[in-house]
Amino acid sequence: MPSKDKVLVAMSGGVDSSVALLEIIEAGYEAIGITMKLWEYRDVGGNLLDDSNCCSIGAINNAKLVCDRMGVAHYTLDFTGVFRETVVDNFAEEYLAGRTPNPCVRCNSFVKWDAFIEQADQLGAQYIATGHYARIIQSDNNFRLAKGKDPLKDQAYVLWGIPAETLQRTLLPLGDYTKEDVRNIARKHKLETAETPESMEICFVADNNYKRFLKDYAPNEIEAIGQGKIVEGNGEVVGVHSGYTNYTIGQRKGLGLSNSEPRYVSKIDPDSNRIFIGKKESLYEQSCRVTQINWLEQNLHFPIKVNAQIRYNSQPVPAVVKQNGEKLLVQFVAPQLSITPGQSIVFYRDDIVIGGGIIELN
Amino acid sequence: MDRIYFDISATTPLSPKVGDYMYALQKEVYGNPSSIHREGQAAHAVVEKSRRQLAKVLNCNPDEIIFTSSGTEANNMVLKGVLKSGDHFITSSYEHPAILKVLPTLIKSGVEVSQVKPNSKGHISLKNIASEVQSNTRLISIMQVNNELGCINPIREIGEFAASENILFHSDAVQALGKIPLDMQSIPIDFLSMSAHKLYGPKGAGALFKRDGIILDPLIHGGGQEGNLRASTENLAGIGGFGLAAELAAISLEENTDHIKDLENCFLSHLDDLEINYFINGENRIPGVFNITFPGEDGSSLVMRLDLAGISISFGAACASGTTKASSMLLDMGLSEADARASVRISFGKIHSRKEVKKVIETIHSLIKHNQLTDAIEG
Repeated sequence: MPSKDKVLVAMSGGVDSSVALLEIIEAGYEAIGITMKLWEYRDVGGNLLDDSNCCSIGAINNAKLVCDRMGVAHYTLDFTGVFRETVVDNFAEEYLAGRTPNPCVRCNSFVKWDAFIEQADQLGAQYIATGHYARIIQSDNNFRLAKGKDPLKDQAYVLWGIPAETLQRTLLPLGDYTKEDVRNIARKHKLETAETPESMEICFVADNNYKRFLKDYAPNEIEAIGQGKIVEGNGEVVGVHSGYTNYTIGQRKGLGLSNSEPRYVSKIDPDSNRIFIGKKESLYEQSCRVTQINWLEQNLHFPIKVNAQIRYNSQPVPAVVKQNGEKLLVQFVAPQLSITPGQSIVFYRDDIVIGGGIIELN
Repeated sequence: MDRIYFDISATTPLSPKVGDYMYALQKEVYGNPSSIHREGQAAHAVVEKSRRQLAKVLNCNPDEIIFTSSGTEANNMVLKGVLKSGDHFITSSYEHPAILKVLPTLIKSGVEVSQVKPNSKGHISLKNIASEVQSNTRLISIMQVNNELGCINPIREIGEFAASENILFHSDAVQALGKIPLDMQSIPIDFLSMSAHKLYGPKGAGALFKRDGIILDPLIHGGGQEGNLRASTENLAGIGGFGLAAELAAISLEENTDHIKDLENCFLSHLDDLEINYFINGENRIPGVFNITFPGEDGSSLVMRLDLAGISISFGAACASGTTKASSMLLDMGLSEADARASVRISFGKIHSRKEVKKVIETIHSLIKHNQLTDAIEG
C-alpha cells in the first residue's frame, strides 16, 4: 500500500482548525497537528486564561486533546521571537506612525506560511492545511486563492500576502463551509472545541483594547505623545485629543465635540500630534496608492480592472489598478469612505484573489 | 507501529511489580493512615514500610524521609523553608526549573542569590562555588546529576566544603536515585530531593531526605502528617509504589548498570560504524544518558521526525506546553548556538535491548543522511 501524503495541519485550538483536521483525515491524508506558539500573554497583559486566545495554554491543550482523540501526532513550535519582531513590533510602529495596521495579514504573509512550509519540508509533508474560510482553486497547473463560500466568514482578505508559490501546497478544507456547518460537524463528532468562542480580532491583544496594549508594549513612546490638537478642515483648532495613537481614520465617537453635524477623523499627523476632522463627505477619496504588493496571479497587464476591498468588513468595489514603478495607483469607480493608511487593499476578479498591498496616503 | 521509548530521563514506564502492588493497595488498603482503627493501622503500616525501604536505599534513619508529591515539591520545601530575608543562596545555572523558577520568589522576599555556571565538561566545580561564599550564605543547592546531560557533580566534595563553612547543603537527586549509589552516612548532605517516576515508580510521588535535627518550615499546612512537615492525607499507593520501586532499583543497581553500559557501547560503536557525525556533551555521566550533538541538524525537528518514525527522544527539557528552546546550558558549556540547537537527549535504561539501540541509530542515520546529501550537493 502506498504511504499516504502527509499534511501539517495548523491547530490554533479553536473549532475551525479542529474541523480542518477532521476533514484532512477524512480525505485520506496522514495528518500532523502543529500549534504555533506566537505570543506569551503574561508578557503584555490582557486576560490570561480565556480559551479563545490562541497561544494560551488552554488553547494549546485543546489542540493536543483533539489531535490525541484522532490519533494524530501534535507538536507545539515556538515562534514567539519572530512573531514579536515581525508582527508585534510593526503593529506598534504603525500606530506610532499614525497608521492602522492589520497584524493578521502580516502574520500570514511573513510568519505563518513560510514557517509551516519549512516545517512541512522538515517533516516530509507534502501539504499544509489551515482552518481559514477561503478556497484554493486548481485549473491545470494554476492554483488560485478564492473567497470562502460563507460570505459572513470569508477570510481570503487576510491571505493576500501569502507567497504565491505556497498555494499549490496549501489545503483549505473549510472553504466550502459556513461557520454553522463547521460547528455542526464539530458537535456531531463531539469535538472538545465545538463550542469555543469566536477568536478576537487581534490575537495578541487579548482584551481587544489596542490602546491598553500600546501603553503596555511601548510605554515610553506612548507616554511621550501626550495631548494634541483637533483641527477642522479649514485649519481651525476645535478641541484637544488624548494622543494621536488613540484614533483611526473614520472614527466619530470619542472626539468630545458637539457639532450639530457629526465630525469624523479624516487625517492623523503623527509629527505634529494633530488629528484632522471633517464632515462625512470630506472622508471620501477617489484613489489611493499601494505599496508592499504581493501578486497571486501572474502575467498581469496594467491597467487592470478589479474589485478592490479596502478593509476586512467591507465589500469589494470596482476599481482600476495602474502600475507606477514600484507603486500602484488604485482609482475607484466611485469615491470610497475612509481609505485608511496601513490597512490592506485586496484585488479580486470575481471570487479570485489576484493580489493585494498596503494602503498609503495619496 | 512498535514504538521505542528512549526518553528514560523524562520519565520511566511503571514497573509491572510496582504496578501490581499499587493496584492491590488501591483496592485493599483504603484506610486513612491517621485513623485509630485497624484499617488506619494497615494504611499506616504501608507508609512506614515504604519509608524504611527508602531509608535502607539511602542508608539513613527512616525519620529522615518525608514523603511529598514530587521532586519539585521537595525542592520548593527546602528553598522556601530554609531561606529567609537577608540570607544568601548559592545554586547553579543549570538546575531543574524546580529550583530555577523558585529564585524570583526568593529574590522578591529578600534572599540574595548567586548562580554558578557549568564548566565545559558539564560539571559545577567546587572552586566556583567556594568563590561565591559570603558571610550570610545559608544554603547551597547543587543537583547530583544534571537532567539534560547526565553529568555527575562532585557532591561529596561540595558537601564537605559546605559542612566546613557551616552552610546547609541540598542536592536535587531526582536523576540520580536508583542509578548511582547514594549513601547519606558517607556524604555530608542536609537535604536530598527524590522522585519515584524516574526509577520505574509512579508519578505524583516524591520524597525529601532531611538530616536529623535540621529545622525546616513546612510548605503545606494542615494535619500533622510526615512529622508536621507535609500536611495532607498520604498518597498511599504512590508512597507504597515509591518504596518498592526504590528497593527494586537498589537490589539490581549493579546488574542494571552493567546492562546499560553494554547498551552504551553498542550505541557508540553503531554511531561510528555508520559514520554518523556527532559529539557527546559532558563527561563523567550516569550510564544511559547522552546529550548528543548532530552538527548541522535541527534538534527539535529531529525529535519530531524520530517521533513520527516511532522513536521517542527529547530536545532540551520538556515544558508544560511542549514548546522547546535551545539549551542555554549548552551555550554556557561553550557550544555555539547552532550546535546547541543541533543537540538532543537520548536516554535508555534497563528495559531496553541491543536490538532497540541499533534500530534507533539506524533510524537516526536514515533521517539525517538526507540533510548530509543535500549539503554535499549544495556545497
